[in-house]
Amino acid sequence: MINLVKAPQNTPLRIVNILGGHGVRRRLFALGFYKDDIIELDSRSILRGPVLVRNLTSDTSVALGRGIAQKIMVEIIDERK
Amino acid sequence: MTKENNFPDVVFIGQPNCGKSTLFNVIAGLKAQTSNFPGTTVKHSHSKVNVEGKVLNIIDLPGTYSLNPSDPAEKVAFTHLFLEKPDLIINVVDASILGRSLELTLELIELEYPVVVALNMVDLAEKKGMEIDPKKLEMLLGVPVIFTIASHGRGVKELLDVVLHSLEKGLSVSHIKWSRDVEERIEEMENQLPEDFPVVANKRFTAICMIEANRLLFDKMLKDINPPLKISLDRVRHDLETMHNAPAYEVIAAERHHLALKIFEECTIVKRGKRTSWQERIDDVIMHPFLGYIILLAVFFGFFFIIFKIASPLEEFLLEPLNNLRLFLSQKLGTGVFFYLADGLLQGIGGGIAIVLPYFIPLIFLMSFLEDIGYLARAGFLMDTFMHKIGLHGKSVSPLILGFGCNVPAIVSTRILESRRDRIITSLLIPFIPCAARTTIILALVAFYLGPLWAMGFYMFNVLLVAVLGRVITFFFKTQSPGLILEIPSLKIPSLKNMMRKTYFQLRSFLKFAWPILVAGSIVLGLFQYLNLDQFINLILSPLVEKSLGLPRELGVTLVFGFLRKELSLIMMLQALGVSYQDLMTVISKEQLIVFTVFISFFVPCLSTVAILWKEIGKRIAFLSMVLNTGVAILFSLLARLIFRG
Repeated sequence: MINLVKAPQNTPLRIVNILGGHGVRRRLFALGFYKDDIIELDSRSILRGPVLVRNLTSDTSVALGRGIAQKIMVEIIDERK
Repeated sequence: MTKENNFPDVVFIGQPNCGKSTLFNVIAGLKAQTSNFPGTTVKHSHSKVNVEGKVLNIIDLPGTYSLNPSDPAEKVAFTHLFLEKPDLIINVVDASILGRSLELTLELIELEYPVVVALNMVDLAEKKGMEIDPKKLEMLLGVPVIFTIASHGRGVKELLDVVLHSLEKGLSVSHIKWSRDVEERIEEMENQLPEDFPVVANKRFTAICMIEANRLLFDKMLKDINPPLKISLDRVRHDLETMHNAPAYEVIAAERHHLALKIFEECTIVKRGKRTSWQERIDDVIMHPFLGYIILLAVFFGFFFIIFKIASPLEEFLLEPLNNLRLFLSQKLGTGVFFYLADGLLQGIGGGIAIVLPYFIPLIFLMSFLEDIGYLARAGFLMDTFMHKIGLHGKSVSPLILGFGCNVPAIVSTRILESRRDRIITSLLIPFIPCAARTTIILALVAFYLGPLWAMGFYMFNVLLVAVLGRVITFFFKTQSPGLILEIPSLKIPSLKNMMRKTYFQLRSFLKFAWPILVAGSIVLGLFQYLNLDQFINLILSPLVEKSLGLPRELGVTLVFGFLRKELSLIMMLQALGVSYQDLMTVISKEQLIVFTVFISFFVPCLSTVAILWKEIGKRIAFLSMVLNTGVAILFSLLARLIFRG
């Protein structure tokens, strides 16, 4: 289990847990980010900027600030399974 | 707010970027009886429309992801739904992200108000390889579903037919059942509600809201008012939490999420096309960590360059007949009061047409292009890094960019920011963004007389100033910004019709509100000049205007009037100096031109901006903003004088 910032790009990831406070979690839920959803890290911006995340389950893209991305714990999906 | 008549209220609600406002404008624009004001003074657009002899009150609410509001814009939608119970809800859904969008639909159905779903952008969904079965969706949701493509006006008639039919017949809507264990807990809570409890929509929805609410305030209130109910609530929450191993509000949200996905899967066949569509390929370039910034800069400068290239020849072309007319008038009317009045009238009307509109129209048009294509959110992503440096984050970028059009709606749009701190800082910075009026001044003075490169330099400086000011202001706010969570909508080919419609709405409000001020202001100045009152004002301001800034004393009066409307300063400048546009440089120097532009650009934007700041953020911030703008304007025009004196 790693946080989203450390995850590799363009690889399917499963959300294991969303840490953080009430407000942040609710906001992520409203945008369709839940535990067990499959997401992909699309791109990273320069200078420790935000990350662009694509949610494959609900087919949406969201830009997340680095601080928030660090609160999303993911695991790499083993495609052989 | 009381209902002004007995016409049924039809509310448009949907998630951000679902094409809700486009649909609303198509319907309101087609058969509008009264105007709808573009987000300047009201929180939501209202319009009365006549559909086949039946009058409907249609209301466009700000986009909201859920009925659990987390930013002030969403709160507007929330408050409206409950305070003014609508007769029917049109839920606009972006078909291309159906799974996610259905979560709001499910919430709306829980209200058990009549709902009609407008499944919008079906063309986009088809391109993504999605095949949606409307009948199946209708059956699963239990409410009518209509396919629409708002940007082409498709499906609008069918939608209105169903709305009328539903209003006449009455549409019964009932919620969709969740997992049994969750339903049981909700029912338990529902049964505990006393008869006199302030129910929202219905008992079940109220019970769900109570379980979801985890705010200290609500819990404390309930504990004081009805301690046994608080105990039951705690027990229900506890049960849900132990069963699902997650906070109660998450259990409820997850129920909706899974139900929405299940419905989505049951009514949609997804034929995965090629993995990379053209949108993704373009996105790879424009959001590229390096190329993205080069493109951003190119877009920024291209934007102003195009406006200038269109506007300046047009301006010269339009000014010529105006000057001839003016010459003719002075020969006919001499120097009596009639000349001053007629000249003022001519300057006001002509200045509006020949100087302001050539810049205003292309600017608004290009702005709606950037907005519709989806570039603003991408700029937000790219700029987030830099915004962090000044203590804000990427979500503030979109209000700041909107400020280039007009500061007023830009300040209203700060409602998308969740934290009040970010709202205040962004709202204090917006008045420093050169709006269409100030862009007109910069392009018509600096670019026209000194060359486009000077104007570009001016913009660079302006943007830099906003960044530095942001850094200074955030220094006084100790609280942290909550961080960026911003949806990036898919790129869309903008519809020309929609862009024209937006431009038309803005143009109409300019002609209706701003132009009369320009004309009236010019006439008043004419009268002042005849009565020599202008000299009195100029004398009072001369320590600032003449002594400090080194400008011609006659310009004092134009600064005062510029407070009503920025373009007024430009038009009045010519009138006050008594020269035609082409001859301006014969009476003032290059240095004075720059000092004047700097002062005008950073000085308090206009009356409407101050008014909206007062209304949206508060009296203190409005005053602070005025002081800040005046201070910066004086400081930098003095500096400009020192630097350019040579």
